[in-house]
Amino acid sequence: MPETLSSKDHSLFRQVVHHFEMKQYKKGIKTADQVLRKNPKHGDTQAMKALNMSQIGQLEEAFALAKTALQNDMKSHITWHVYGLLLRQEKNYEEAIKAYRFALRLEPESQPIQRDLALLQMQMRDYQGYIRSRSAMLQTRPGFRQNWTALAIAHHLAGDLAEAEKVLTTYEDTLKGATPHVADMENSEATLYKNTIIAETGNVERALEHLEAVGYRCTDVLAVMEMKADYLLRLDRKAEAEAAYTALLERNPDNSIYYNGLIKAKAIPESDHKALKALYDEWVEKNPRCDAARRIPLDFLEGDEFKQTADAYLQRMLKKGVPSLFVNIKQLYVNPTKRDVVQELVEGYLSGKATNGSAESNGDNNEFLSCTYYFLAQHYSYHLSRNLPKAMENVEKAIELSPKAVEYQMTKARIWKHYGNPGKAAEEMEKARLLDEKDRHINTKAAKYVLRNNDNEKALELMSKFTRNETVGGTLGDLHEMQCTWFLTEDAEAFLRQKKLGLALKRFHSVNNIFDTWQEDQFDFHGFSLRKGMIRAYVDMVRWEDRLREHPFYTRMAIGAVKAHLLLHDQPDLVHGPMPSGINGLDSTDENQRKKALKKAKKEQQRLEKVESDKRAARKAAAANAKGADGETKKEDSDPLGNTLVQTQDPLKDAMKFLAPLLRSSPQNIEAQCLGFEVYSRQNKHLLAVKCLVAAHSIDSSNPTLHLQLLRFRKSLDSLAEPLPEKIAEVVNAEFDKLLPKTQNLEEWNESYLSTNKGSVAHVQAGLSGRQFLNPECKPQCEQDLLATLDSSDITIDEATAALDILNKWGSDKTAYAEKAGKKWPESSVFELN
Amino acid sequence: MVDIVPLSSYPSYIDLLPSIQTCNITNLPENYFLKYYLYHALTWPQLSFVAVVREYPKVVGYVLAKMEEEPTDGLQHGHITSLSVMRTHRRLGIAERLMRMSQRAMAESHRAHFVSLHVRMSNVAALRLYRDTLGFEVEKVEDGYYADGEDAYAMRLNLQSMWLDWKAIEKRDAENNKEKNGEEGNEDEGEEVGDLGKKDAEKMIRVKVGRGLGVGDLVEKNESKA
Repeated sequence: MPETLSSKDHSLFRQVVHHFEMKQYKKGIKTADQVLRKNPKHGDTQAMKALNMSQIGQLEEAFALAKTALQNDMKSHITWHVYGLLLRQEKNYEEAIKAYRFALRLEPESQPIQRDLALLQMQMRDYQGYIRSRSAMLQTRPGFRQNWTALAIAHHLAGDLAEAEKVLTTYEDTLKGATPHVADMENSEATLYKNTIIAETGNVERALEHLEAVGYRCTDVLAVMEMKADYLLRLDRKAEAEAAYTALLERNPDNSIYYNGLIKAKAIPESDHKALKALYDEWVEKNPRCDAARRIPLDFLEGDEFKQTADAYLQRMLKKGVPSLFVNIKQLYVNPTKRDVVQELVEGYLSGKATNGSAESNGDNNEFLSCTYYFLAQHYSYHLSRNLPKAMENVEKAIELSPKAVEYQMTKARIWKHYGNPGKAAEEMEKARLLDEKDRHINTKAAKYVLRNNDNEKALELMSKFTRNETVGGTLGDLHEMQCTWFLTEDAEAFLRQKKLGLALKRFHSVNNIFDTWQEDQFDFHGFSLRKGMIRAYVDMVRWEDRLREHPFYTRMAIGAVKAHLLLHDQPDLVHGPMPSGINGLDSTDENQRKKALKKAKKEQQRLEKVESDKRAARKAAAANAKGADGETKKEDSDPLGNTLVQTQDPLKDAMKFLAPLLRSSPQNIEAQCLGFEVYSRQNKHLLAVKCLVAAHSIDSSNPTLHLQLLRFRKSLDSLAEPLPEKIAEVVNAEFDKLLPKTQNLEEWNESYLSTNKGSVAHVQAGLSGRQFLNPECKPQCEQDLLATLDSSDITIDEATAALDILNKWGSDKTAYAEKAGKKWPESSVFELN
Repeated sequence: MVDIVPLSSYPSYIDLLPSIQTCNITNLPENYFLKYYLYHALTWPQLSFVAVVREYPKVVGYVLAKMEEEPTDGLQHGHITSLSVMRTHRRLGIAERLMRMSQRAMAESHRAHFVSLHVRMSNVAALRLYRDTLGFEVEKVEDGYYADGEDAYAMRLNLQSMWLDWKAIEKRDAENNKEKNGEEGNEDEGEEVGDLGKKDAEKMIRVKVGRGLGVGDLVEKNESKA
């Protein structure tokens, strides 16, 4: 039997609850102890004490106490509720929901328990559960608008649009014609929310009708105008749509969608360039300083019209000295004719052929000149119009005219990057940084270039110029806290290139944790947004969270992380740190050499650990209790080098943490599918492996990576140590036969791939790898053929760098290839073998 | 081509949030958790805008804005939390457009009396934009406002000229009510409802000013002052 409290102790207990609500956690604990002295087994008090403890960083102890509380009083809604709250803090949502349900069964009328349950159901996207909770809450308190709105959201997200609308309308009817004031934002937003629900049903006609009846009193004026224009256009009510898009452009002439809408509304055919140009000219006249209306016509104009318009545009911007001109122009280069016209025009400005009286001989001419050189430097550096010597020539001239211009120096660094010389590129970017040390943008670039040159330490030092270095964990700690994904990802990739897998995994995991945090971030808004009433933004946020990991930041990180795990699986020696290439390689034969390298690597690892622990000790001494930005005392990372991550027993299993969300969120990413195959085939999961191949095949059937994987899979199926279970074999064979039939002669198949794709170096490389794989004796010939691809005029430096990896895999000598490539790209450093 | 679009109103570009955060930490020393951006996007969805190159899509600028939650003088006003345009996209008029969009929304959606912001005294380009192009006035100098010790100009711009005409809206409300009630054949009551609505409204405004609505829990600290 649970203990019962004296009336004095009971009032003390009430104080504990009160302290918690007032966030006076330490007082709460003290008061609870008072009660417990006389009633040591009082479950509710123990639970409330645990709850207070959990708020001051004693989650572990809190958990132990909450469990004791439960044992002492299983029939109390408080002990169950607290247990649920703690589980939630630990992010064990499913168990937390169960605990809340128990609590609610014991106390069906409790609003706080019902609310906490509802919040979690939303977080877990248990829409049916959420509907039930919200219906119950509405029944208890129908006077609050947010209870109605919440139920509507529940139905809406569960896909029941009609019911969602009905709930909103029912509430509106309760107002009985008393129109809320125009300043009532909650009302304004709820009205627009209802309108979006109607529009989502596809009944645009009714949505427009509703909007016209109520839109005039919604204060989000821009949204109402956008919705109205969109509906009108979809309903083909051209004249009104024209007016609507005109009104939008008058507010904001910098939105291409509005122009597109206006053009559709006016039914101007795409081919009628004259009419289109006239339309944009009208907007230029209305907004002489607006860029969009001047720039967009360059997208559709052709021939002489293009040339004339481009000429005017380029000259105007160059004379104004707009540094962003090239980034605004380069999209045109997918059309080679336009690319050439731009080049001809801008080169012409330098040789004095500038048309219609641009011959100003004043001081501005210098700016015009340097801007023009700068434009050409970017032009010749861009991959669609690349001519690096010319780029360098132009950038030097620009720098000569304006030696202090950061942008010019940045471009010089970029040219070195394209030359395949990351060291020199980083050096030049550092010069740019020194021109403006107070600007974080150039500092960011400098750090990024240093990372591309695999100098992680120097990069962090650069970053430290703009971080709060007194944070726990120093500069890196602050970058974590501020969720600086770009740096962590680049840092990870640099470590991966150096085969420092512990640190690479550490950083990849950090980015992964940031995504987890972003997902968790929505939790508070489930309640908050209802109070605020900004429902449309909330619903959009919920939907965005559901596709959070589709973000390119996630894709890139996950791909890197899977690669790191694969490398660790294939070369387990790397757990001790990087080793010279060739020894790590699959071709390693000399056991003595291997042991020597291992010893060296272990020594280096010990050195690093020492450095790291010294650093930590120094920081500890410097700031005894450094606090994070959110005021919480942060713990030092106990494994800054990622040792526990790299010492895993099963790298492939760990890779799944990244691979599964990657394949779920970005199934159209062929690199992801190919990596999926690599992981599953190593795990002998044939069914999943073939699934990845099928997916990759449907994205790009001739993809070079896929080509080799198909050959490998066919071979491995044909030479299984023991046959697959019958049912699996059936599916795998049926699916795979569609991609590469069993009856197919593989050599012929590979040769035909080579001849079909002889125009692309990457494909030829894959075909040669295929040949080498099918017939190892022909390796010398393959090496010759690979070397010959360097004579192709199309080969890029990246493709040539990839060839080095291929030679590595073949166990070939890279010297000849590297030498020839080095001659072809004399400025590069990437072909210097160490 | 750079488009200026709303962050989280209609149509919503909330997917761009991680890229906005990257744009910020690439360019500026004052950085925030993603949750702080979410807090802006979900509390004042009308006020923040993004400059985006659609082709990639790439964020090249943003303005993150809010309403002052507890204005000391009781006047509703907006505040620019952060504004940035990538160095690669300067002088295309992006910052000006971002500001104008936000200012208008502050006036229309929240009936802001003015908008305020802080700017580094050394930031000549920004000062030119705020003062000469947009018409801001320096209100005062705040000593050591930034983490590195630099002083800030506190600037503001009056927005009342862009307020919505509430009278016109109320008139239309009244006409609508009249029509509705007219159909039911009860004209007098229609008038009265309109009047009552107005009184309620005034009361409501007073209540709304400065009411926290539980925001406190969500507000995170501004790193620039930490």
